[in-house]
Amino acid sequence: MADPRPRLVKFETQRSFALRLVLATLTGKTIRVSNIRPSSTNPGLANYEISFIRLLEAVTNGSAMEISYTGTTIAYKPGLITGCAPGRGASGGVIRHELPEGCPRGLSYFLIPLCLLAPFSKAPINVLFTGPGVITSATPMGDISVDSVRTAILPLYEQFGIFNNIELRILRRSCPGPGGKGGAGEVQLMFGHQVRVPKTIHMMNPGRVKRIRGVAYCVGVSASNNARMIDVARGILNPLVSDTYVFSDVSSAPLIPSATKADPNAKRKLGIGFGLSLVAESSTGAFYSADVASPPEGGVPPEDIGRQCAYQLLETISLGGCVSPAAAQTMLVLMAMGSEDVGRLRVGKKVFATEEIIDLGRDLSQLGASGWGVRDADAEGEDLIVSIVGSGFGNVGRKIA
Amino acid sequence: LHRTKPRFRTTDLVRMMYDDSLTPAEVLRRWSGADADEDEDASQDEDDDDFFKKADNSGEGESLEDRAVPKYDYDALQEKWSNAENIEALRRRFASADLLKEKRARGGSDYE
Repeated sequence: MADPRPRLVKFETQRSFALRLVLATLTGKTIRVSNIRPSSTNPGLANYEISFIRLLEAVTNGSAMEISYTGTTIAYKPGLITGCAPGRGASGGVIRHELPEGCPRGLSYFLIPLCLLAPFSKAPINVLFTGPGVITSATPMGDISVDSVRTAILPLYEQFGIFNNIELRILRRSCPGPGGKGGAGEVQLMFGHQVRVPKTIHMMNPGRVKRIRGVAYCVGVSASNNARMIDVARGILNPLVSDTYVFSDVSSAPLIPSATKADPNAKRKLGIGFGLSLVAESSTGAFYSADVASPPEGGVPPEDIGRQCAYQLLETISLGGCVSPAAAQTMLVLMAMGSEDVGRLRVGKKVFATEEIIDLGRDLSQLGASGWGVRDADAEGEDLIVSIVGSGFGNVGRKIA
Repeated sequence: LHRTKPRFRTTDLVRMMYDDSLTPAEVLRRWSGADADEDEDASQDEDDDDFFKKADNSGEGESLEDRAVPKYDYDALQEKWSNAENIEALRRRFASADLLKEKRARGGSDYE
């Protein structure tokens, strides 16, 4: 960029916190985020945000952050993305990241931003998420399940020429524990394809939905819950897509130690529940996902979960465009990080006109990426074409230092 | 005067998108055409008591938390997608839809 931008880029509030840290790391700019929950009864950074900072620290070298006394302001100076090279905190090339028990967010909160960093890393990323805070299912806080990350987010990287050695292993499942907090699951992300810049994409045709895949999971409850969810969801979706297949995954509840005086070896179950993840794939490689899980307080029959998930999927498909709301940020960031060429993406109006996406556009331009061009896709005016000139930053972290 | 303004125009959205004097929420509100008079009411309320201010936690803070899955009213969704008309409108997004056959079928049902 020719024009000298201020060295410190300022952001406010906790919105897109993880994404902003990722963008700062990718562009190599120092940022300051202020006004993080200033008037909340529990002010400042939440424990999952701190946890994400720790994760960021683990996969980068030379990052520095300063958090104010109240936790409502953080300054972050990014280092370079080193990934999980053996020798630096990674034993055998694997970084163990432990999440504390009070974590109310699903693991996708950590996975999606981490995946955005991974292609620009020096060494492959290989992180094992463990500890009593790993929730693999969808959560009431609006996170998608890790199944949706695996089947609806990771395949998107293929469009950008990133497809080798990418694997998300779900080693142990968990739903949110009591009060929606904690889970004790275990997930390993391997992201072994590093590039200099992602390919420029032109996704102008959403195509037609040709198949629906899904995963029904139940943790520590009867397997019949899965069958009941699948039955109802298929009842709604089968008339539209005959190629519908929902896998059923039954697992026992994870045990975590809870020592008491009477019984020092006591263990208790954490994260019992069930849920459904549905992904529709179109003929042109667009993915639409839907996620619903049983609420931690229970009381919702599996039929309702299946029904809600199927209707949510229909709603997501009806929003139009080539991306679902859950994947829009990933796609737009990867486009903005591409080579200095115009990439185009068709996005539904209702997917684009959200506060998150407008914020993302502003954040990117503040960090030195170019502005987006937006126009109507056709006369109907339901979809927009977003044209993004790649910043050409690519693997900037590797070049500096 | 505001009423005659067309709503949800793409050019309006693009113009406001990089206008830093507006918050994203305001951008969307103006874009949808529900603006102006609401703002005035809100500013008047604030003037009434400028000393004791109650922290505004009514949904404001919650909307700042990231959500990958929007909050849906599932009863409304069920109603929407139980409606055969809506399903038929969505069917063209699916590969299974045989457009010719569908046209014929619709033509037939019109005569009934």
